[in-house]
Amino acid sequence: MPEPERAGVPPAAGFDDFFRTNFPVASRIAYGVLRDAQLAEDVAQEALIAAEQRFAVLVGNTQATAWVRVAASHLALNAVRARRRREDRHRRQPIDQGGEGPEELALAREQEVALRAALARLPRRSATVLVLRHSGLSYAEVAAALGVKVGHVGTMLRRAEVALRKEVERATRS
Amino acid sequence: MQHVPEGTLRRLIDEPFAVADRHVRHVEACLRCRHRADEIASDAATVGAWLAPPPSRALADAAPRAREAAARAGRARTLRVPAHRHWRVVWPSLGTGATVAAVGVVVAGVAAATSLTTVFAPTTVAPVPVGTSGLQPVATLLGATRTSLVGLDPGSGTRHLTYGTLSWRSLGPPEVVSSLAAANAATGLDVTLPRSLPNGVGAPSRFVAMREVTATVHFDARAGAALAGSTLALSVGPGVAVLYGATTGGATTMGIATITRPVVTSTGATAAALDQFLLGRPGLPAALALELRLGQNLSGKLPIPIPAGVDSSTVRIGAASAIVLSDAANAASAAIWEDAGGQVHLVAGLLAQQDVLDVAHQIH
Repeated sequence: MPEPERAGVPPAAGFDDFFRTNFPVASRIAYGVLRDAQLAEDVAQEALIAAEQRFAVLVGNTQATAWVRVAASHLALNAVRARRRREDRHRRQPIDQGGEGPEELALAREQEVALRAALARLPRRSATVLVLRHSGLSYAEVAAALGVKVGHVGTMLRRAEVALRKEVERATRS
Repeated sequence: MQHVPEGTLRRLIDEPFAVADRHVRHVEACLRCRHRADEIASDAATVGAWLAPPPSRALADAAPRAREAAARAGRARTLRVPAHRHWRVVWPSLGTGATVAAVGVVVAGVAAATSLTTVFAPTTVAPVPVGTSGLQPVATLLGATRTSLVGLDPGSGTRHLTYGTLSWRSLGPPEVVSSLAAANAATGLDVTLPRSLPNGVGAPSRFVAMREVTATVHFDARAGAALAGSTLALSVGPGVAVLYGATTGGATTMGIATITRPVVTSTGATAAALDQFLLGRPGLPAALALELRLGQNLSGKLPIPIPAGVDSSTVRIGAASAIVLSDAANAASAAIWEDAGGQVHLVAGLLAQQDVLDVAHQIH
């Protein structure tokens, strides 16, 4: 399928390849935050398209790859904060829980909403390191995405995990 | 003495080969650092379970559709293309019959070296004859010398295994509480009790609230290349147990338990690699080994060990498939099943099989 061109702006080299390679990771990162497959796909698309507009060359561009990963995380965290949009989407698209009753569904959604809210309350950098690492990126990849030394990732991750647990526990108690 | 920094302990869980040998040796020799490492591993497993990504196969399927959607939208910066809803979050669900596989499990070997996947999330129970060796091979696999509670002390702990390290942590010891309501409140469960009891079974004598237990197994180089450096994280519970005395007083005649099903996630190791690892363990029950060799997906089945001399059968309890066990004299029986909400139920006692089933049908 030919790539549509914007007037006066050549398409970034290899967008198809870049998209195919990076979409799964970007989706996984977004899903880690949103727990909604459709939203995660949308966020991943948005991040990849934004990368195409930002970088003249995509294929083989490690900076573009890192940028997309952080962008997916930030866009997903922004989407959590737009709580009304998420709740609307859940109402329109009930998650198939394979036979669970409405009470179980409601409880599961409540718990997910609480977890996402806790994640969104963390400092942006802490939430991002959590999402990147727990979506499967190696320490080196997380470091490249965040622009830090790889030796710092463990400390950042540990602090972020403690912070998230505390946020969740605090929300559970209240 | 300078202890290992927390950031290094954290990386030791995920990428042990990236950590300097001197730190590894220190952790092995230092009780304080090992305890800190246990806590860090437990927190990491908990957060990992919260943030676990979806099955990678589903994501691979979504990419071409998303790419077409992006192209159709002309790649505007504020793209909000309604994605095709072919894939959605699907939690493991009970189907009919005893062979429904869990949906939330990735089995394909395409997982990246550090991706987190669910490798065990049962939706039904399955009998596994264990022969005369009983549960000893399982205990040996976990480095225990006795099978009761597989040697796990309450609270938290660490045990070095022949293939890595096992760590566990409970959110609290089992607690005897005053009532079913108190047990439900302590665990967040909603357990109900049967209205009518079999002859000879008295009133409830004890209510026990069991907190969630998490455990991690970290595989080192001795586990082989396919598993080295990866971590399994298990969570099970919480649960509630109710014990009943006899109408004549005295010993417990019946027990009812409900516990949230175990779930196991893995960083790096695929389900196929884990199957191969298990097949290499001595004493694996023959029935289990056969299913693994036949490539059966066991990730959705909770294995129920059936010792030699115990009769077992499969019956329906509500929509669930249940395993019913009884001794040769039908003087002691048990029924175990998993409901659609991921709760595993057990009814057991010094009762005939029909009495156990009567109770089970009341509480399913």
